[in-house]
Parts: sequence; C-alpha cells; structure tokens
Amino acid sequence: MRKLLFIFSFFGMAISSFAQQITTTNIFSKMDMGPQHILWDGTNTMLMGFTSLMMTPIDIPGPTLVYTEGDSVELKLRNMSQSASHSIHLHGLDVDQWNDGVPHLSWEVGHNATESYYFKAPHPGTYLYHCHVTSSLHVQAGMYGLLIVKPQNANETWDGGFTFDKEYAWMTSEIDTVWHTDSIINYPHDTTTTLRELPDYNPQYFFVNGRSEHQLLDTNVAAITAKANETVLLRLANIGYFGNRIIFPNQLNAKIISSDGRPLPNIEVSDTLEILPGERYQVLLQSSIEFSDSISVDYFNLNTQNIANTQKVPVSVSGFVSSVNDIKKEVLFYPNPVSNALYFTKNTTFASVFDVNGKIILSANNNINAIDVSMLSNGIYFIDIDGVKTKFVKQ
Amino acid sequence: MLMACLWKLRNSQLVNKLFIGIAFGFLSFSSKATTVNQPLYIIADSLLTVDSTKVPYLTFNDSPTYNQSNPIINLMVGDTLDLWVYNTDNSAHDFLIKGISIAQSIPANDSVFLQAIFAVSGSYIYHDPSDFPKNTYLGLAGMIVVKDHNHASFYWNIKEHNSDWNTQLFTGNTVNWNQYDPKYFTINSVSNPNINADPLARITGQVGDTLYLYITNTGFSIHSMHFHGYHAIIKYSSKNATHFGREKDTFPIYPMETIVLQIVPDKEGEFPIHDHNLVAVMGNNIYPNGMFTTILITP
Repeated sequence: MRKLLFIFSFFGMAISSFAQQITTTNIFSKMDMGPQHILWDGTNTMLMGFTSLMMTPIDIPGPTLVYTEGDSVELKLRNMSQSASHSIHLHGLDVDQWNDGVPHLSWEVGHNATESYYFKAPHPGTYLYHCHVTSSLHVQAGMYGLLIVKPQNANETWDGGFTFDKEYAWMTSEIDTVWHTDSIINYPHDTTTTLRELPDYNPQYFFVNGRSEHQLLDTNVAAITAKANETVLLRLANIGYFGNRIIFPNQLNAKIISSDGRPLPNIEVSDTLEILPGERYQVLLQSSIEFSDSISVDYFNLNTQNIANTQKVPVSVSGFVSSVNDIKKEVLFYPNPVSNALYFTKNTTFASVFDVNGKIILSANNNINAIDVSMLSNGIYFIDIDGVKTKFVKQ
Repeated sequence: MLMACLWKLRNSQLVNKLFIGIAFGFLSFSSKATTVNQPLYIIADSLLTVDSTKVPYLTFNDSPTYNQSNPIINLMVGDTLDLWVYNTDNSAHDFLIKGISIAQSIPANDSVFLQAIFAVSGSYIYHDPSDFPKNTYLGLAGMIVVKDHNHASFYWNIKEHNSDWNTQLFTGNTVNWNQYDPKYFTINSVSNPNINADPLARITGQVGDTLYLYITNTGFSIHSMHFHGYHAIIKYSSKNATHFGREKDTFPIYPMETIVLQIVPDKEGEFPIHDHNLVAVMGNNIYPNGMFTTILITP
C-alpha cells in the first residue's frame, strides 16, 4: 500500500510539472483610420494603441493587464495596425532579452502577424507595457498600458506587506496633437531603417487615465472614494514625457511605500510626490475624517521645470468604516491614556500619529517598539500602527 | 608641456593656491591613500554632434589638446586631489567643485591650484559657475568620482544642448533660460549610436558581477534614465540622501545633481538603458539619436 501511494504521488508530480499552467492574454495593436478619439474639449485625434478585443476602439491607456505573483504568462500580440510593426516592452519586469520587446535586440511583430511574449510575473507591484518600435512616436501615439502584479493575497501590497481596503490606478500621459496626424502616425514602415524624423513636442492635452478636465469628474475614471479609516492603495505610473507632481490634500495622509515594483527601504510620508517618465509609485492613502477635495497633478516641462498644466482628480471620504475602536480588538499598544510613550505590544514597521484634523504630527518606522508622545498637548489623537488605526488619549 | 606651464606660471607669480580641507573628523584614511595630480585646461572649441553639426563649446581638458568630453577624475576615499586649472581661453572663468569648494576666479591665460580630500564616496561635479548657467551650459562641467570599492565602474556625464543657443551665447548674446528647448542629448558628449563606443560609458560585465554606474547631470533638463533587464540600487544621491538603498529601474537625475547606482546582473543579455523622456532619445528630432545606450552582460 505504501508503495502504491508513492507511485501515485510521483505520477501526480509529473503531470503537474508537464501541465504547468500558463496564463494567456490576447492583445491587439491597432491604428485609427482617422481622428476618432474625442478629447475633453471635443477635439478628435488619431491614435495607435492596444486593445483586448479586435473590434474594440482604441483608448488610452490600453487594457490593464493583471497577473498574480509567480504566474507564467503568454502575452500574445496580434498586429492589426495596417502599417508599422509593433512590439511589447514589459517595462520594469526585467524579462530576458528575447522577450524584452526591443526590435533591434530581439524582434518585432509585422502587420497581420501574431507573436507571443513569455515571462514570469516575479515581484508584486505596478509596471507598464508599451511598444518599443520607434518608441518616441509609438508611445506618444497611445501604445501603452498598466501591468499589475498582485501577491497571492490580493489585499496585501506584497507578501507580508501592507493591507488595504480598495485600490486605484492612475496612469499619466500627454498628447501633442501635431504628432497624432495621419502623416506622422500612418507612416510606411521599413524595418531596415530605424531613423525617423519627428516633430517638436509641445503637448496641449494632459491626462490621468487618458482623461482631462471635466472628464475626471466621472467616478469611473480616476476619482477616489473611501470611508474614513479605510486604507486606499493608489498605483501611480507616468508614461508621458513631462514630469508629474502629485499633491495630496492635507486631510489625506499619504505614505509612499514602493517604487518600480520594489518596497522602499524607508517609507516616506509626504503630501507631494514627483513621478518622472517611466517611474511608478505605490502610495497608501488614509483619512480619519470625512472630507471632499481633489488631488492635484502638475505636469512640468523637464527642460524648464515650468508647470504646463494641472489636472485635479476628486477625492471624497464619506462615512466611517466602523467605530475606530472596533477596527481591531487586539491590544496594539499601552498605556491608554498615555503621558509619555506609547509602547507597542509587538515590533512595528510603521507608526503615525494624527491629530483630530487628520494631520500627521508624528511618525516612526523600521522595527520600532515605542513612540514618544510626551510633547503632545492633552487631547484625543489617532494612531496608525502598520495600517491598523485606532485612537488614544494624551493626558 | 605640463612642467613648462608650471614653470611659466610660477615665474609670472600668477599662481593662486587654495587648500580645501573636508570633514577630517569623518575620514577613515586608507593606508593606500595617494595624491592624484590632475591638470585641467579650459579650452574653447566645438562639440561635434551626432548629425555632424559643429556647435561652439568649451570644456576642461586633461591636456592642452582639446577633447569635447570633460575628463572624469577618479579617486578613492581619503585620496588627496591636487588640481591645476589652466585657463587658456581669452575670457576669465571660475572653478568650483559643487558642494565642496568655493569658487576660484581664473583670469584669462592664468591658472589656479586647488587641493581637496574627499571624505564621502560618491560623484561630484566640477564646473565654471561664473555667469551661471552660461559657462556651465557651454560645456565647462565634469565629474569627480570618489570610490570606496574596486568593482568595475562606468561613468556618465549626461547633458543636453541647443546648438542655436551655443552660437548665441558665444557671440555675446543672451538667451531666455525659461524657454530652454534642447535638441541634442549626450552621455560623455556623444549620442546614440556612439555612446556604446565609449568604454567609460558602455556598461559591460558578467552575470553576478557587482557593477557601479556614476552619473552626473551637468545639463539643465531633468533626465529619467530607465534600465531594461535589471533593477539597480541607489548607493548615493546628491539630491535625495534618503533615497539610498532604493531598488528601481528608472532613475530621475535633476540638473547639477549626481547619483551612483549598483547593478548586479542576474542574467546575460544586451538591454537598453535610455532616458524615458522619449524626446531625449532623439537627436535634433531624429529617433533614436539621443540618450540611448545598452548594457551587455555575458555568462
């Protein structure tokens, strides 16, 4: 009997190894036949881009690709763009050279051809994908999207990382409509010629998730809604050619926790975050009070550092997830009320103290076991210990 | 030639001498600390761009012969740097090691001597701060590297150029810096495809090697350098000391700031490294004649 079990066990392993599951994603590269993408002021413009279905119109950004850490992925690109060859660069995933999507170092996909990229999703985080054929033009034309790798526990930022209640993803970019004309985009492609003359770049439209101005009031675009004490994970990625400066309202406590698919060695608490082209950041947002405001996104010229445009994305915190005392029954610290120091019941990665207006007034990180609150005036305060919020009384 | 210059300067009593002492309390002197003698000659000539345009330009040179790339000065922590800076130009210039020394004036056809000891490893910018940003923009800005290791190292002095502006500035006219719009983007004064021909710039190594990349941005644009294939670790950042230890694939480098990266390749291959401001991947509007190079890793 023992022998039989062993044989079955071995047979089972063999099957599983031969039948290792591959997640296959189909994606299409296409080009508009004329100006048909409507911008916020009614202007029509022409795009090249990626779609998940052959008949779906091109939008920017392209479809968001979501995988789980460890997934083996086949990303199958069918080029329906009529003219140029295309590729997919998996920006930040550090794939091997053959699957990196850089034409002269690997290959490109000609019109009406279908080819596959293979990779393993290694680190949870926020990534990009974009075409790397004549990349200055094809990225500006709209050939980009987000790629998200989640850990096994989808409500954690990474295994053993921070937990969150909901998440949003913003991809920022710009358009210079001079580049989006038939003579620029719809060029005859010659794979033997890599040189290409392009216009000056002076964008007129600035986007969060491909939308601007009043379009950002649409709650399905980028607007953030949450309850007080909920934790929101905001994924940020800049695929434009301008710098972005994200400015969070005072009521929103922003913790910058990771960049480019890796946790930061030291978490930063800041109301401002600059994101340069190609960078990605993940930020945890929390508020202990209700409010409505907006998060500003400045677009600054990288040569002059002058702000060319500002977009505002609504953020609304309404209602409470529960009484703050009910969030977690576990005793996290003592004493309460406190006069001098709050001692944590276990070593803590990150702790922040907020006043009743939600403004952060103290923070500490890196394996701490206490936080000195002796300098605080007497009153009620809130504390966030590794993402768990509660209140305490200083006396 | 060097001795002749020294003799001449000494005899003409035109030698200014400055000693720069830096943070001795933090220095951990190596028994192998040495003195590095480095002459720098300020020479006006031109920059040959990727499309063969000749642009008026000024550089520091390590000999009286003109080179369009400023020398990279290599030191170990604790080394003493003896610098003779000779101004062969017909205009006065200044000399400054950013964040380290104070500006020294050098009249036309004169020289200055500086001595410095660096306590902290990293990359530093030397430049002419006079009439800033004019002379720095025109090319007078280079890199001092201070190491605390012996790993293979590579060096990028990144910069951008507007040929019309160089002509305007050289002929005494002014420009509106608030409308800066560069057309050429260089690493060590050359653009793609010539960057890979520079062994100081082109990163090569083997799987498992520890490689260092020292970058200075002596231009006036922000650059956002993206690595394909590998993440790198920030070992030094002049602008954001708290970014030490961050592991990233894209690195913003602000004007007149420096950064040091460590790369330990985990696989073989040839992968691009380029500015992800994709305008800077062009040269005079031609793709891909800009800030684009490749890293080559063998098994």
